[in-house]
Amino acid sequence: MSEMVRKASTFEILNHWVLAISCILLAISGYGFLFKIEGIAAVFGGANMMKDIHNYLGIVFSVSLFLSIFNWLKDALTFDADDIKWIACAGGYLSKHPKIPPMGKLNTGQKFYYIALLVFGTAIAVSGFIIWLLPGNKTYVLWSHLIHNISFVVLMIAVPVHIYLATIANPGTFRIMIYGTVPYKWAAKRHPKWIQELSHGK
Amino acid sequence: MAKKALLITPELCIGCRACQVACKSWNQLPAEKTQNKGSYENPGDLTPTLYNKIRFVEVPSEKDPIRWLFVSQRCMHCEDAGCMKICPSPGALYKTKDGIVSFNQDKCIGCKLCIAGCPFDIPRYNQKNKISKCNFCEDRVANNQPPACAKTCPTGSITYGDRDALIANAQKVGYQKLYGQMDLGGLGVLYAFKDAPKLYGLNENPRIPESIVFWNNVLKPLSYIGLGGVVAASILHYLVIGPHKEEEV
Repeated sequence: MSEMVRKASTFEILNHWVLAISCILLAISGYGFLFKIEGIAAVFGGANMMKDIHNYLGIVFSVSLFLSIFNWLKDALTFDADDIKWIACAGGYLSKHPKIPPMGKLNTGQKFYYIALLVFGTAIAVSGFIIWLLPGNKTYVLWSHLIHNISFVVLMIAVPVHIYLATIANPGTFRIMIYGTVPYKWAAKRHPKWIQELSHGK
Repeated sequence: MAKKALLITPELCIGCRACQVACKSWNQLPAEKTQNKGSYENPGDLTPTLYNKIRFVEVPSEKDPIRWLFVSQRCMHCEDAGCMKICPSPGALYKTKDGIVSFNQDKCIGCKLCIAGCPFDIPRYNQKNKISKCNFCEDRVANNQPPACAKTCPTGSITYGDRDALIANAQKVGYQKLYGQMDLGGLGVLYAFKDAPKLYGLNENPRIPESIVFWNNVLKPLSYIGLGGVVAASILHYLVIGPHKEEEV
Protein backbone atom coordinates (compact mmCIF):
# COMPACT_ATOMS: atom_id res chain seq x y z
CA MET A 1 0.00 0.00 0.00
CA SER A 2 2.80 2.32 0.71
CA GLU A 3 6.44 2.55 -0.18
CA MET A 4 8.71 0.27 1.87
CA VAL A 5 12.23 0.82 3.08
CA ARG A 6 14.64 -1.93 4.10
CA LYS A 7 15.80 -1.71 7.73
CA ALA A 8 17.37 -5.15 8.14
CA SER A 9 19.29 -7.34 5.69
CA THR A 10 18.50 -11.05 5.29
CA PHE A 11 21.69 -11.82 7.20
CA GLU A 12 20.61 -9.56 10.07
CA ILE A 13 17.18 -11.20 10.20
CA LEU A 14 18.61 -14.74 10.22
CA ASN A 15 21.28 -13.90 12.77
CA HIS A 16 18.74 -12.24 15.03
CA TRP A 17 16.55 -15.36 14.95
CA VAL A 18 19.54 -17.57 15.79
CA LEU A 19 20.48 -15.26 18.66
CA ALA A 20 16.89 -15.06 19.94
CA ILE A 21 16.14 -18.77 19.83
CA SER A 22 19.47 -19.82 21.34
CA CYS A 23 19.05 -17.16 24.04
CA ILE A 24 15.57 -18.36 24.99
CA LEU A 25 16.55 -22.06 25.05
CA LEU A 26 19.66 -21.22 27.09
CA ALA A 27 17.52 -19.25 29.51
CA ILE A 28 14.96 -22.05 29.95
CA SER A 29 17.63 -24.70 30.52
CA GLY A 30 19.43 -22.16 32.71
CA TYR A 31 16.39 -21.89 34.97
CA GLY A 32 16.28 -25.70 34.95
CA PHE A 33 19.81 -25.84 36.36
CA LEU A 34 19.40 -22.86 38.69
CA PHE A 35 16.41 -24.34 40.50
CA LYS A 36 17.08 -28.04 39.74
CA ILE A 37 13.71 -28.38 38.00
CA GLU A 38 13.09 -32.02 37.00
CA GLY A 39 10.33 -31.05 34.55
CA ILE A 40 12.57 -28.76 32.51
CA ALA A 41 15.38 -31.34 32.52
CA ALA A 42 12.88 -33.94 31.25
CA VAL A 43 11.87 -31.68 28.34
CA PHE A 44 15.53 -31.44 27.32
CA GLY A 45 15.98 -35.21 27.59
CA GLY A 46 17.35 -35.41 31.14
CA ALA A 47 19.90 -33.37 33.05
CA ASN A 48 22.89 -34.88 31.21
CA MET A 49 21.43 -34.06 27.82
CA MET A 50 20.35 -30.61 29.04
CA LYS A 51 23.95 -29.90 30.01
CA ASP A 52 25.20 -30.79 26.51
CA ILE A 53 22.45 -28.78 24.83
CA HIS A 54 23.12 -25.81 27.12
CA ASN A 55 26.88 -25.96 26.44
CA TYR A 56 26.68 -26.34 22.65
CA LEU A 57 23.92 -23.74 22.34
CA GLY A 58 26.36 -21.49 24.17
CA ILE A 59 28.64 -21.78 21.14
CA VAL A 60 25.75 -20.91 18.80
CA PHE A 61 24.81 -17.93 20.98
CA SER A 62 28.42 -16.73 21.14
CA VAL A 63 29.00 -16.92 17.40
CA SER A 64 25.69 -15.19 16.73
CA LEU A 65 26.49 -12.48 19.28
CA PHE A 66 29.88 -11.95 17.68
CA LEU A 67 28.35 -11.65 14.20
CA SER A 68 25.80 -9.14 15.51
CA ILE A 69 28.64 -6.73 16.15
CA PHE A 70 28.84 -6.12 12.41
CA ASN A 71 25.10 -5.47 12.30
CA TRP A 72 24.51 -3.07 15.13
CA LEU A 73 27.58 -1.94 17.06
CA LYS A 74 28.42 1.08 14.90
CA ASP A 75 24.90 2.51 15.15
CA ALA A 76 24.71 1.64 18.85
CA LEU A 77 27.83 3.65 19.64
CA THR A 78 26.76 6.78 17.78
CA PHE A 79 25.26 9.28 20.22
CA ASP A 80 24.21 12.93 19.86
CA ALA A 81 22.18 15.56 21.74
CA ASP A 82 18.88 13.95 20.71
CA ASP A 83 19.82 10.86 22.69
CA ILE A 84 19.95 12.95 25.86
CA LYS A 85 16.50 14.38 25.04
CA TRP A 86 15.27 10.83 24.44
CA ILE A 87 16.45 9.81 27.89
CA ALA A 88 14.87 12.95 29.40
CA CYS A 89 11.46 11.98 28.01
CA ALA A 90 12.02 8.26 28.75
CA GLY A 91 11.60 7.47 25.08
CA GLY A 92 8.03 8.74 25.24
CA TYR A 93 6.95 5.48 26.82
CA LEU A 94 5.41 7.17 29.86
CA SER A 95 2.96 9.25 27.85
CA LYS A 96 0.02 8.39 25.63
CA HIS A 97 0.85 11.16 23.15
CA PRO A 98 4.60 11.42 23.33
CA LYS A 99 6.85 13.96 21.65
CA ILE A 100 10.02 12.07 20.85
CA PRO A 101 13.22 13.72 19.58
CA PRO A 102 14.28 12.66 16.08
CA MET A 103 16.14 9.35 16.05
CA GLY A 104 18.62 7.67 13.72
CA LYS A 105 18.42 4.05 12.62
CA LEU A 106 18.39 2.95 16.27
CA ASN A 107 16.70 4.89 19.03
CA THR A 108 18.54 5.53 22.30
CA GLY A 109 16.88 2.66 24.10
CA GLN A 110 17.82 0.25 21.35
CA LYS A 111 21.42 1.48 21.53
CA PHE A 112 21.59 0.94 25.28
CA TYR A 113 19.94 -2.43 24.94
CA TYR A 114 22.45 -3.56 22.35
CA ILE A 115 25.43 -2.36 24.39
CA ALA A 116 24.06 -4.14 27.46
CA LEU A 117 23.47 -7.29 25.44
CA LEU A 118 27.00 -7.18 24.08
CA VAL A 119 28.57 -6.60 27.53
CA PHE A 120 26.51 -9.10 29.52
CA GLY A 121 26.18 -11.52 26.60
CA THR A 122 29.98 -11.63 26.32
CA ALA A 123 30.29 -11.99 30.09
CA ILE A 124 27.79 -14.86 30.26
CA ALA A 125 29.43 -16.57 27.27
CA VAL A 126 33.03 -16.32 28.48
CA SER A 127 32.15 -17.32 32.06
CA GLY A 128 30.08 -20.20 30.69
CA PHE A 129 32.99 -21.51 28.65
CA ILE A 130 35.26 -21.33 31.71
CA ILE A 131 32.75 -23.35 33.80
CA TRP A 132 32.47 -25.82 30.94
CA LEU A 133 36.11 -26.16 29.95
CA LEU A 134 38.02 -25.59 33.21
CA PRO A 135 35.98 -27.71 35.63
CA GLY A 136 37.45 -28.23 39.06
CA ASN A 137 39.55 -25.07 38.90
CA LYS A 138 38.06 -23.57 42.05
CA THR A 139 39.10 -19.92 41.64
CA TYR A 140 38.17 -19.60 37.97
CA VAL A 141 34.95 -21.56 38.37
CA LEU A 142 33.73 -19.57 41.40
CA TRP A 143 34.35 -16.23 39.66
CA SER A 144 32.77 -17.47 36.46
CA HIS A 145 29.78 -18.90 38.31
CA LEU A 146 29.20 -15.50 39.92
CA ILE A 147 29.61 -13.57 36.65
CA HIS A 148 27.45 -16.09 34.75
CA ASN A 149 24.61 -15.62 37.23
CA ILE A 150 24.87 -11.82 37.53
CA SER A 151 24.72 -11.61 33.72
CA PHE A 152 21.78 -14.00 33.74
CA VAL A 153 19.83 -11.79 36.15
CA VAL A 154 20.53 -8.70 34.00
CA LEU A 155 19.59 -10.46 30.77
CA MET A 156 16.41 -11.90 32.27
CA ILE A 157 15.35 -8.31 32.94
CA ALA A 158 16.61 -6.74 29.71
CA VAL A 159 15.48 -9.39 27.19
CA PRO A 160 11.77 -9.45 28.15
CA VAL A 161 11.68 -5.64 27.99
CA HIS A 162 13.25 -5.82 24.53
CA ILE A 163 10.71 -8.42 23.40
CA TYR A 164 7.79 -6.36 24.74
CA LEU A 165 8.98 -3.10 23.17
CA ALA A 166 9.75 -4.74 19.83
CA THR A 167 6.36 -6.44 19.56
CA ILE A 168 3.06 -5.31 21.05
CA ALA A 169 4.34 -2.07 22.58
CA ASN A 170 5.40 -0.72 19.18
CA PRO A 171 3.13 -2.07 16.46
CA GLY A 172 4.93 -2.21 13.15
CA THR A 173 8.29 -3.13 14.64
CA PHE A 174 8.08 -6.92 14.70
CA ARG A 175 7.69 -7.15 10.92
CA ILE A 176 11.37 -6.16 10.65
CA MET A 177 12.26 -9.57 12.11
CA ILE A 178 10.27 -11.23 9.31
CA TYR A 179 10.48 -9.03 6.24
CA GLY A 180 13.28 -6.63 7.13
CA THR A 181 11.26 -3.79 5.67
CA VAL A 182 9.09 -1.06 7.16
CA PRO A 183 6.71 1.45 5.57
CA TYR A 184 8.55 4.59 4.50
CA LYS A 185 6.11 6.81 6.40
CA TRP A 186 6.56 4.79 9.59
CA ALA A 187 10.33 5.02 9.27
CA ALA A 188 10.20 8.73 8.54
CA LYS A 189 8.33 9.24 11.79
CA ARG A 190 10.27 6.82 13.98
CA HIS A 191 13.75 7.17 12.52
CA PRO A 192 13.77 10.51 10.65
CA LYS A 193 17.53 11.01 10.82
CA TRP A 194 18.09 7.58 9.30
CA ILE A 195 15.69 8.35 6.45
CA GLN A 196 17.50 11.65 5.95
CA GLU A 197 20.81 9.84 5.71
CA LEU A 198 19.33 7.41 3.21
CA SER A 199 17.97 10.15 0.98
CA HIS A 200 21.25 12.11 1.18
CA GLY A 201 23.05 8.97 0.19
CA LYS A 202 20.93 8.64 -2.93
CA MET B 1 14.89 -39.72 62.89
CA ALA B 2 17.74 -38.05 64.69
CA LYS B 3 20.73 -36.84 62.78
CA LYS B 4 23.54 -39.39 62.84
CA ALA B 5 27.21 -38.52 63.16
CA LEU B 6 30.72 -39.85 63.54
CA LEU B 7 32.92 -38.66 66.37
CA ILE B 8 36.63 -38.77 65.59
CA THR B 9 39.12 -38.73 68.46
CA PRO B 10 42.58 -38.50 66.87
CA GLU B 11 44.44 -39.21 70.12
CA LEU B 12 42.85 -42.67 70.23
CA CYS B 13 43.88 -43.51 66.67
CA ILE B 14 46.83 -45.87 66.21
CA GLY B 15 47.03 -45.34 62.46
CA CYS B 16 46.20 -48.94 61.56
CA ARG B 17 44.03 -47.83 58.63
CA ALA B 18 41.56 -50.65 59.16
CA CYS B 19 38.91 -47.98 58.46
CA GLN B 20 40.33 -47.45 54.96
CA VAL B 21 40.26 -51.18 54.29
CA ALA B 22 36.78 -51.65 55.74
CA CYS B 23 35.47 -48.77 53.62
CA LYS B 24 36.90 -50.26 50.44
CA SER B 25 35.58 -53.67 51.38
CA TRP B 26 32.01 -52.57 52.11
CA ASN B 27 31.76 -50.12 49.22
CA GLN B 28 33.49 -52.51 46.78
CA LEU B 29 36.18 -50.02 45.86
CA PRO B 30 39.29 -51.41 44.14
CA ALA B 31 42.79 -50.93 45.52
CA GLU B 32 45.13 -48.49 43.81
CA LYS B 33 48.84 -48.26 43.29
CA THR B 34 50.32 -45.68 45.61
CA GLN B 35 53.62 -43.91 45.93
CA ASN B 36 55.89 -43.64 48.91
CA LYS B 37 56.16 -39.94 49.64
CA GLY B 38 58.32 -40.37 52.69
CA SER B 39 55.36 -40.40 55.06
CA TYR B 40 53.17 -43.03 56.69
CA GLU B 41 50.23 -41.36 54.95
CA ASN B 42 49.12 -43.75 52.26
CA PRO B 43 47.52 -43.11 49.81
CA GLY B 44 48.50 -39.46 49.91
CA ASP B 45 45.10 -38.08 48.97
CA LEU B 46 41.45 -39.06 48.60
CA THR B 47 40.63 -40.55 45.20
CA PRO B 48 37.42 -41.67 43.46
CA THR B 49 37.96 -45.10 45.02
CA LEU B 50 39.26 -43.89 48.39
CA TYR B 51 36.44 -42.37 50.43
CA ASN B 52 38.34 -42.05 53.71
CA LYS B 53 41.92 -41.97 54.83
CA ILE B 54 44.11 -41.28 57.81
CA ARG B 55 46.01 -38.03 57.58
CA PHE B 56 49.39 -38.44 59.23
CA VAL B 57 50.80 -35.34 60.92
CA GLU B 58 54.17 -35.21 62.63
CA VAL B 59 54.45 -32.49 65.28
CA PRO B 60 57.90 -32.77 66.83
CA SER B 61 58.82 -30.45 69.70
CA GLU B 62 61.54 -30.38 72.33
CA LYS B 63 59.18 -31.58 75.00
CA ASP B 64 57.61 -34.23 72.84
CA PRO B 65 60.02 -35.19 70.06
CA ILE B 66 57.73 -37.90 68.68
CA ARG B 67 54.21 -36.57 68.48
CA TRP B 68 52.19 -38.24 65.75
CA LEU B 69 48.63 -37.24 64.95
CA PHE B 70 46.36 -39.56 62.99
CA VAL B 71 43.32 -37.78 61.65
CA SER B 72 40.54 -39.72 59.97
CA GLN B 73 39.38 -37.75 56.96
CA ARG B 74 36.27 -38.00 54.76
CA CYS B 75 33.23 -36.05 53.58
CA MET B 76 31.97 -34.02 56.55
CA HIS B 77 28.27 -34.37 55.67
CA CYS B 78 27.58 -30.68 56.36
CA GLU B 79 24.08 -29.70 57.42
CA ASP B 80 24.45 -26.63 55.16
CA ALA B 81 26.34 -28.33 52.33
CA GLY B 82 28.09 -26.15 49.72
CA CYS B 83 28.18 -29.01 47.21
CA MET B 84 24.40 -29.46 47.37
CA LYS B 85 23.81 -25.71 47.09
CA ILE B 86 25.79 -25.29 43.89
CA CYS B 87 24.94 -28.64 42.24
CA PRO B 88 22.69 -27.91 39.21
CA SER B 89 21.40 -31.43 38.62
CA PRO B 90 18.18 -32.55 40.33
CA GLY B 91 18.82 -35.54 42.58
CA ALA B 92 22.57 -35.86 41.95
CA LEU B 93 23.37 -34.91 45.56
CA TYR B 94 20.75 -35.44 48.20
CA LYS B 95 20.32 -35.55 51.94
CA THR B 96 18.91 -38.59 53.73
CA LYS B 97 16.68 -38.43 56.80
CA ASP B 98 19.76 -39.29 58.89
CA GLY B 99 21.52 -36.12 57.69
CA ILE B 100 23.81 -37.91 55.23
CA VAL B 101 24.91 -36.04 52.09
CA SER B 102 24.76 -38.81 49.50
CA PHE B 103 25.01 -38.94 45.71
CA ASN B 104 23.44 -40.62 42.69
CA GLN B 105 25.99 -41.08 39.89
CA ASP B 106 23.24 -41.62 37.31
CA LYS B 107 22.03 -38.09 37.90
CA CYS B 108 25.47 -36.47 38.15
CA ILE B 109 26.19 -34.42 35.00
CA GLY B 110 29.93 -34.17 35.59
CA CYS B 111 30.08 -30.36 35.81
CA LYS B 112 32.35 -30.45 38.88
CA LEU B 113 30.70 -27.38 40.46
CA CYS B 114 30.55 -29.32 43.76
CA ILE B 115 34.36 -29.21 43.87
CA ALA B 116 34.12 -25.41 43.92
CA GLY B 117 31.39 -25.51 46.55
CA CYS B 118 33.09 -27.82 49.06
CA PRO B 119 35.00 -26.16 51.92
CA PHE B 120 36.90 -29.41 52.64
CA ASP B 121 38.15 -30.43 49.16
CA ILE B 122 36.26 -33.73 49.25
CA PRO B 123 34.45 -34.50 45.96
CA ARG B 124 36.41 -36.58 43.46
CA TYR B 125 35.41 -37.61 39.94
CA ASN B 126 35.81 -41.12 38.57
CA GLN B 127 36.83 -42.11 35.04
CA LYS B 128 33.24 -41.78 33.87
CA ASN B 129 33.31 -38.18 35.12
CA LYS B 130 30.85 -38.85 37.95
CA ILE B 131 31.08 -37.66 41.54
CA SER B 132 32.54 -40.10 44.04
CA LYS B 133 32.89 -39.53 47.77
CA CYS B 134 32.02 -40.92 51.19
CA ASN B 135 28.28 -41.62 51.45
CA PHE B 136 28.44 -42.45 55.17
CA CYS B 137 27.60 -46.05 54.23
CA GLU B 138 24.07 -44.82 53.62
CA ASP B 139 22.85 -48.38 53.04
CA ARG B 140 24.25 -49.63 56.37
CA VAL B 141 22.89 -46.65 58.30
CA ALA B 142 19.45 -47.17 56.76
CA ASN B 143 19.58 -50.67 58.30
CA ASN B 144 20.68 -49.43 61.71
CA GLN B 145 24.29 -50.47 61.18
CA PRO B 146 27.26 -48.18 61.79
CA PRO B 147 29.34 -47.13 58.77
CA ALA B 148 32.07 -49.66 57.93
CA CYS B 149 34.88 -47.40 59.22
CA ALA B 150 33.26 -46.97 62.64
CA LYS B 151 32.31 -50.63 62.84
CA THR B 152 35.87 -51.77 62.28
CA CYS B 153 37.81 -49.17 64.29
CA PRO B 154 39.57 -51.18 67.02
CA THR B 155 40.35 -48.30 69.39
CA GLY B 156 37.13 -46.29 69.45
CA SER B 157 38.77 -43.43 67.58
CA ILE B 158 35.80 -43.45 65.19
CA THR B 159 32.48 -43.78 66.98
CA TYR B 160 29.03 -43.62 65.46
CA GLY B 161 25.68 -42.67 66.92
CA ASP B 162 22.98 -40.03 67.27
CA ARG B 163 24.68 -36.69 66.84
CA ASP B 164 23.26 -35.18 70.03
CA ALA B 165 24.28 -38.20 72.10
CA LEU B 166 27.83 -38.14 70.72
CA ILE B 167 28.16 -34.45 71.64
CA ALA B 168 26.76 -35.03 75.14
CA ASN B 169 29.13 -37.95 75.73
CA ALA B 170 32.15 -35.98 74.51
CA GLN B 171 31.25 -33.15 76.87
CA LYS B 172 31.12 -35.60 79.75
CA VAL B 173 34.70 -36.66 79.13
CA GLY B 174 35.91 -33.07 78.92
CA TYR B 175 35.61 -31.89 75.30
CA GLN B 176 33.69 -28.64 75.78
CA LYS B 177 33.47 -27.81 72.09
CA LEU B 178 33.85 -30.26 69.25
CA TYR B 179 35.12 -29.32 65.84
CA GLY B 180 32.12 -29.26 63.53
CA GLN B 181 29.59 -28.84 66.31
CA MET B 182 28.40 -25.46 64.99
CA ASP B 183 30.24 -25.09 61.67
CA LEU B 184 28.19 -25.10 58.44
CA GLY B 185 24.97 -25.69 60.31
CA GLY B 186 26.57 -28.63 62.12
CA LEU B 187 28.82 -31.23 60.54
CA GLY B 188 27.97 -34.92 60.42
CA VAL B 189 31.59 -35.67 61.31
CA LEU B 190 32.71 -34.27 64.67
CA TYR B 191 36.28 -34.04 65.92
CA ALA B 192 37.46 -34.10 69.52
CA PHE B 193 40.65 -32.06 69.20
CA LYS B 194 43.06 -31.34 72.04
CA ASP B 195 44.83 -28.67 70.03
CA ALA B 196 44.11 -26.09 67.33
CA PRO B 197 42.25 -27.62 64.33
CA LYS B 198 44.99 -26.29 62.06
CA LEU B 199 47.48 -28.68 63.65
CA TYR B 200 45.27 -31.56 62.55
CA GLY B 201 45.03 -30.18 59.02
CA LEU B 202 41.57 -28.58 59.22
CA ASN B 203 40.41 -24.99 58.79
CA GLU B 204 39.55 -23.09 61.95
CA ASN B 205 36.41 -21.64 60.30
CA PRO B 206 35.25 -23.75 57.36
CA ARG B 207 32.80 -21.82 55.23
CA ILE B 208 30.98 -22.09 51.94
CA PRO B 209 32.62 -19.64 49.48
CA GLU B 210 30.98 -16.22 49.88
CA SER B 211 30.17 -15.93 46.19
CA ILE B 212 28.02 -19.08 46.46
CA VAL B 213 26.19 -17.73 49.51
CA PHE B 214 25.55 -14.43 47.68
CA TRP B 215 24.41 -16.29 44.58
CA ASN B 216 22.09 -18.52 46.59
CA ASN B 217 20.56 -15.79 48.77
CA VAL B 218 20.45 -12.86 46.33
CA LEU B 219 20.97 -13.79 42.67
CA LYS B 220 18.71 -16.85 42.62
CA PRO B 221 15.64 -14.98 43.90
CA LEU B 222 16.51 -11.95 41.74
CA SER B 223 16.49 -14.13 38.63
CA TYR B 224 12.75 -14.70 38.90
CA ILE B 225 11.78 -11.51 40.73
CA GLY B 226 13.44 -9.54 37.92
CA LEU B 227 11.82 -11.55 35.14
CA GLY B 228 8.42 -11.54 36.84
CA GLY B 229 8.77 -7.84 37.61
CA VAL B 230 9.42 -6.76 34.03
CA VAL B 231 6.72 -9.02 32.64
CA ALA B 232 4.24 -7.52 35.14
CA ALA B 233 5.50 -4.01 34.37
CA SER B 234 5.07 -4.65 30.63
CA ILE B 235 1.48 -5.81 31.10
CA LEU B 236 0.77 -2.81 33.32
CA HIS B 237 2.34 -0.45 30.78
CA TYR B 238 0.30 -1.97 27.98
CA LEU B 239 -2.92 -1.55 29.95
CA VAL B 240 -2.26 1.90 31.42
CA ILE B 241 -0.35 3.73 28.68
CA GLY B 242 -0.81 1.41 25.77
CA PRO B 243 1.19 0.77 22.65
CA HIS B 244 2.89 3.52 20.70
CA LYS B 245 0.86 3.61 17.50
CA GLU B 246 1.31 5.69 14.40
CA GLU B 247 -2.29 6.69 13.73
CA GLU B 248 -1.64 8.30 10.37
CA VAL B 249 0.33 5.44 8.83
